[in-house]
Amino acid sequence: MQDPIVMAEAERIPFVAYIGQRGGPSTGTVIYSQQELNLATRGGNGEAMRLVLGPSNLQELYDFMILAFDWAFRYRLPVIVLGDGYLSKTMGSVILKKAGKVKAAKSILDFDHPVNIRNTYSQEEELSQIILRELKDFAAIGSKVEKSEVIKCDDAEVVVFAWGTVGSAAREAVEKLRKEGLKVGLFRPITLKPFGAQKAKIAVKNAKKILIAESSFGQFGRLVLESLFGVKDLSVERLYKPAQGIISEEIEEKLREMIK
Amino acid sequence: MMKKNKILIAGEGGQGIQVIAKILAKVAYKSGYDVTYMPNFGVEQRGGVSLAFTQISNDKISFPKFQKADIVVLLAIRAKKRVERYFDEKTILLFDNSLIKEEEISSLKNTKIAIPATFFAKEKLVPKVFNIIILGALMGEVGGLKEKETIKILSEFFKDKYLKEPQLKHFNHKALEMGMGIIKSIKKEDKWRQKILKK
Amino acid sequence: MSEPKYPKCVKIESKPSDFCPGCGHSIVLKNLGFVIDELGISDKSVFVTDIGCSLLAWDYYNINSVQSHHGRGVSVSTGIKLAQPKKVVISYMGDGGGYAIGLHHLLHAAKRNEPLTVILVNNTVFAMTGGQAAPTTIIGEDTESTPEGQFVEGPIFGPNLIKQVADKKAFIARGSVDNIPQLKKYLKLAIENQINNNAFSFLEILSYCPTNWKTNTQKTFDFLDTLKRIYETGIVDDEKK
Repeated sequence: MQDPIVMAEAERIPFVAYIGQRGGPSTGTVIYSQQELNLATRGGNGEAMRLVLGPSNLQELYDFMILAFDWAFRYRLPVIVLGDGYLSKTMGSVILKKAGKVKAAKSILDFDHPVNIRNTYSQEEELSQIILRELKDFAAIGSKVEKSEVIKCDDAEVVVFAWGTVGSAAREAVEKLRKEGLKVGLFRPITLKPFGAQKAKIAVKNAKKILIAESSFGQFGRLVLESLFGVKDLSVERLYKPAQGIISEEIEEKLREMIK
Repeated sequence: MMKKNKILIAGEGGQGIQVIAKILAKVAYKSGYDVTYMPNFGVEQRGGVSLAFTQISNDKISFPKFQKADIVVLLAIRAKKRVERYFDEKTILLFDNSLIKEEEISSLKNTKIAIPATFFAKEKLVPKVFNIIILGALMGEVGGLKEKETIKILSEFFKDKYLKEPQLKHFNHKALEMGMGIIKSIKKEDKWRQKILKK
Repeated sequence: MSEPKYPKCVKIESKPSDFCPGCGHSIVLKNLGFVIDELGISDKSVFVTDIGCSLLAWDYYNINSVQSHHGRGVSVSTGIKLAQPKKVVISYMGDGGGYAIGLHHLLHAAKRNEPLTVILVNNTVFAMTGGQAAPTTIIGEDTESTPEGQFVEGPIFGPNLIKQVADKKAFIARGSVDNIPQLKKYLKLAIENQINNNAFSFLEILSYCPTNWKTNTQKTFDFLDTLKRIYETGIVDDEKK
């Protein structure tokens, strides 16, 4: 999988992948996990210039696939929709949309003025310059597309960080506890690459504690803690269940303990 | 109105567990509810434990799995271990008592509904429609679902099989009726419904 | 009759090319250029290179070209042809890319009868990395990784292997850089088969690698003669399947 992704990055070829994460390592299970986050957001040689979307329910899965094609052609980048075994296999209702026309920024092959597309360089200086230029472009695109769902974080004492399907469970837990008057909030990155670090920092402004919930062992936690680098006086609790689903009641229970 | 119904169907691969859940979800959707159906099984095509998580609700459902089930349908004893954690005291257990002996599930102190689906299918219809009897019983227990839609959905679902085996249509409809009928009679008399209270 | 020095489709600004002196790639590319000119397809062709020395041809022509990954050239070509079915897609690779890491792509493209022209230059070694043994290395051949001679595996007969799975319409042949008329004929047939029959074509070309063979001019010619005794040139027909 990393093979075509990095080639698409190098040559700026529009590329869309849907990944239904399975349990690992190796053959693992065919059921579910969130263990392909590292591979999706950081895999391959190079600087991982790709956009990664994490849908939390079927509607988003559908909407984000359309978005992925739009972004891939608009920005000429690889776009990964990072689903999981639950999302891939769940049947449920989805509101279908009339998809807009996807248009490439410019045609890749040009039969009037032929192009020679390359991914190989002979000099380190030449490649380094190109990467730096591409990274600048990627940062500009990233600031345009970056998305997060932030729920009731303004006055939250505890903020839960979760993504994808676990994000849905966390949303249910937060909404339930809010009804009881408990000051909890949710930060759910919708784009995992780029990760909305600025928004994450704002989300924990009044928080004393955060909870990181993920169906892997710290792959998501690493992204969260990296984004919160520099934030002081914040204690971190972890609900890590590698290759296993996390339901809202578990997050609810953990949040109740934390807010005591 | 319908409260959120969380239904877990469990059995062995090859029994048609996923078929029951898929049709139930389609019927519930066509009856105007929000639904999710999610299969859960290992890599084996036959013989492994097969689970199906189904939810039916008036409100939007966002997460496909749940902690405790309102109804557990158990169709093979080897699946019991996998589903025990989804029981609380309110969970209703619907099982096939021609496949599972009652003493085998005596450890579960829940309301139990025994449906001799395999026996009836063999005696009165054809063996393979036992899961449609279960589907009928399950629909009866859930309530509020449109029977007419079910016939349409069955015809759509088994389109290819009906072409090869036209009599299957008749057996499926009979099986559905039978399942619903059993639940109706149980509800009326309440004597098949064994309520075992917690000590 | 004198031929022009370079084919018209060649990108003059990129010359001299990066191939070693005496390399067979230059001979193949130049003749492929003449064939492209002759067929008048330079403005509707896409040239896909693999990894290995073949990638040095990425800007050889004034034709749309794409570099790919080791062994993936055939798959990239398949994608391009799907998106642009009216264009002529030429996939260019070495024996390392085609017969080692990319063999499954190549075989399945042949099996699916993808309308592509695959040109595989066989010099019996992984040349770009310094002349290690390849699937095509013959018995007894000295390479960087078999300094005492390769005595473990027999050679791979690509065209015959592909013939096993290819469609009846496929054009499959082996040429050699020391027989230019035959080489040009095969190149032309391999491209025409894609255009006229919408079918798969595969052409292996035996080629020189004096740098890695560590041979002088005469010994380079001699080794190619040796190779030709093992790797028979010609069109692979149904009887020899």
